[in-house]
Amino acid sequence: MLNTFLLLLTFLIAGSSFAYPEFQRFSQNNSGRPINCAMCHANGDGPEGASRGQIGSLTPDELNKLNAARSAFAPGVPIQSPILNAFGNNIITVIGKTKFLELRAHPEQLAEVYGYQSDLDSDGIADAQEYLEGTHTLNNVHGNPMKLFLHNLKTFRLHVILIVLATIAGFYGFSHLLNGFAASSNTKSSVERYP
Amino acid sequence: MKQPLVSTLFDFIASRIPLHKLDVRHMITEKEVPVHRMSWGYYVGGLALFFFIIQVFTGMMLLFYYEPTVSEAHESVEYITHFVTMGALIRNLHAWSASFMIFCVIAHMLSALAMKAFAKPREITWIAGVLLLLITFGFGFTGYLLPWNQIAVNATKVGLASIDQMGQYLPAALSHLAEDVRVTIQGAPAIGQATLSRFFALHVVILPLMIFGVIGLHVLSVQLHGMSPGIEDKPRRKDKFFPIFILKDFKEWGIAFLVLFILSLCLPFDSLFPYPLLEPYNALGSTPDGIKPEWYFYFVYYPMELLPFWVIIVVMTFATLGLFAAPWIFKGTSHKTMRWIASAIAAYMIVMTLFGENIYHAIKG
Repeated sequence: MLNTFLLLLTFLIAGSSFAYPEFQRFSQNNSGRPINCAMCHANGDGPEGASRGQIGSLTPDELNKLNAARSAFAPGVPIQSPILNAFGNNIITVIGKTKFLELRAHPEQLAEVYGYQSDLDSDGIADAQEYLEGTHTLNNVHGNPMKLFLHNLKTFRLHVILIVLATIAGFYGFSHLLNGFAASSNTKSSVERYP
Repeated sequence: MKQPLVSTLFDFIASRIPLHKLDVRHMITEKEVPVHRMSWGYYVGGLALFFFIIQVFTGMMLLFYYEPTVSEAHESVEYITHFVTMGALIRNLHAWSASFMIFCVIAHMLSALAMKAFAKPREITWIAGVLLLLITFGFGFTGYLLPWNQIAVNATKVGLASIDQMGQYLPAALSHLAEDVRVTIQGAPAIGQATLSRFFALHVVILPLMIFGVIGLHVLSVQLHGMSPGIEDKPRRKDKFFPIFILKDFKEWGIAFLVLFILSLCLPFDSLFPYPLLEPYNALGSTPDGIKPEWYFYFVYYPMELLPFWVIIVVMTFATLGLFAAPWIFKGTSHKTMRWIASAIAAYMIVMTLFGENIYHAIKG
């Protein structure tokens, strides 16, 4: 009974106050890339509904975590909201709910306020930068292609050096083989012509 | 006296595939490759073969983990990418080499067109080449669906819907034919498990069997007739096919593998798509923005978005038939004219691939 009441209450509150499309819209307009709710939410269709990561599917324990997250008004309080993904949770943890709500009017300032230190997917591109560029903050194979390329080139420099060395060695061998065969075929043809 | 058709056909095949000339020793010791300003075209064919070999090996590795079911396909691809040792590298090698292979096949076909390499007695080499181009596009189309994500399923839907659209241009008695073809490819009235199973079977069994057969015919035909002269003038010199040309080919393969490996290691193919398109396909959700086919279909996709569909059908039908019939259509055409035609086709494809989206927005607003 209590669970049902809590669930209904959550639905009523959530419908009006727990989806913040301003940030999604800003990121989409700023980057020119299509963005969906999966930028910050556990479910790509947002928090409303009964699918995985949406309010209608939460267990009592998860509802408690959701309520705890909603009351994290000050920065520095670690939260684990089940309807947010790691980036969404980290935003509230780092800047606090109060500041986050203030930024709804200035979503372009979120990157600066959140800071460029955090890189949750370790792809070499800061979460804040990925927010501006409309790429996924939690997927290390998703990001600005050139930045990813340069970061991975640095990470895998040993592999790259080895493959370059192997190619040079192969070239050296093939070139010598080519010269050898060319020389032998010239000799052979002269022998055939002038026995 | 006029010869019967069957006899003419047999004579044609016998003269174009002169198996009695099959002498491996002669091929190895005597075959020569002309060296001239267009001879890069010979190497592009070898590169296409190299990328195909990469496709086969990486494809077999992906098969160990990939699950061709609508409930598991996306997860298995994610598992390969994030949890299998070197899984991301293998998947990137497969994706990048697919694009390179298609690029090389198109470039090889255009260079063969420019060199008039289809001229008698190489008509069958050319027809096998056109079939290889179509099979390669088939690989691209069927492989695109397999990750079962938003872009894969929605783009395939668009592709299959265009078959349905053809029905309205057919005579009334045949109008259901297009839908029948679409449902046959799809396996069911709507895209689902049957579609995935069929595309998987096409991608890993049927098309590979076809391509092995056609590559065999293409390579055999090249070996029997030798490389086409390519230009009207005398070549600068002639290289022995074995070992000089083969070794030069291997050197190019080395450079190609170096580029492919570094690209696959450092630039995930998925980074080129907006991330909502990489989410698992949701049959109940709306079609996300940014759905379009792979780059190698842009030359037909953007015109399809801009022009009436019947124009596309007419142009594509004539273009495909024209490709098959090129040896007879351009029989008396000079090499210079062929180079102009090939350059015009290349320019169209480059412009549509690189700027098709800009052109579309400029016209549609």
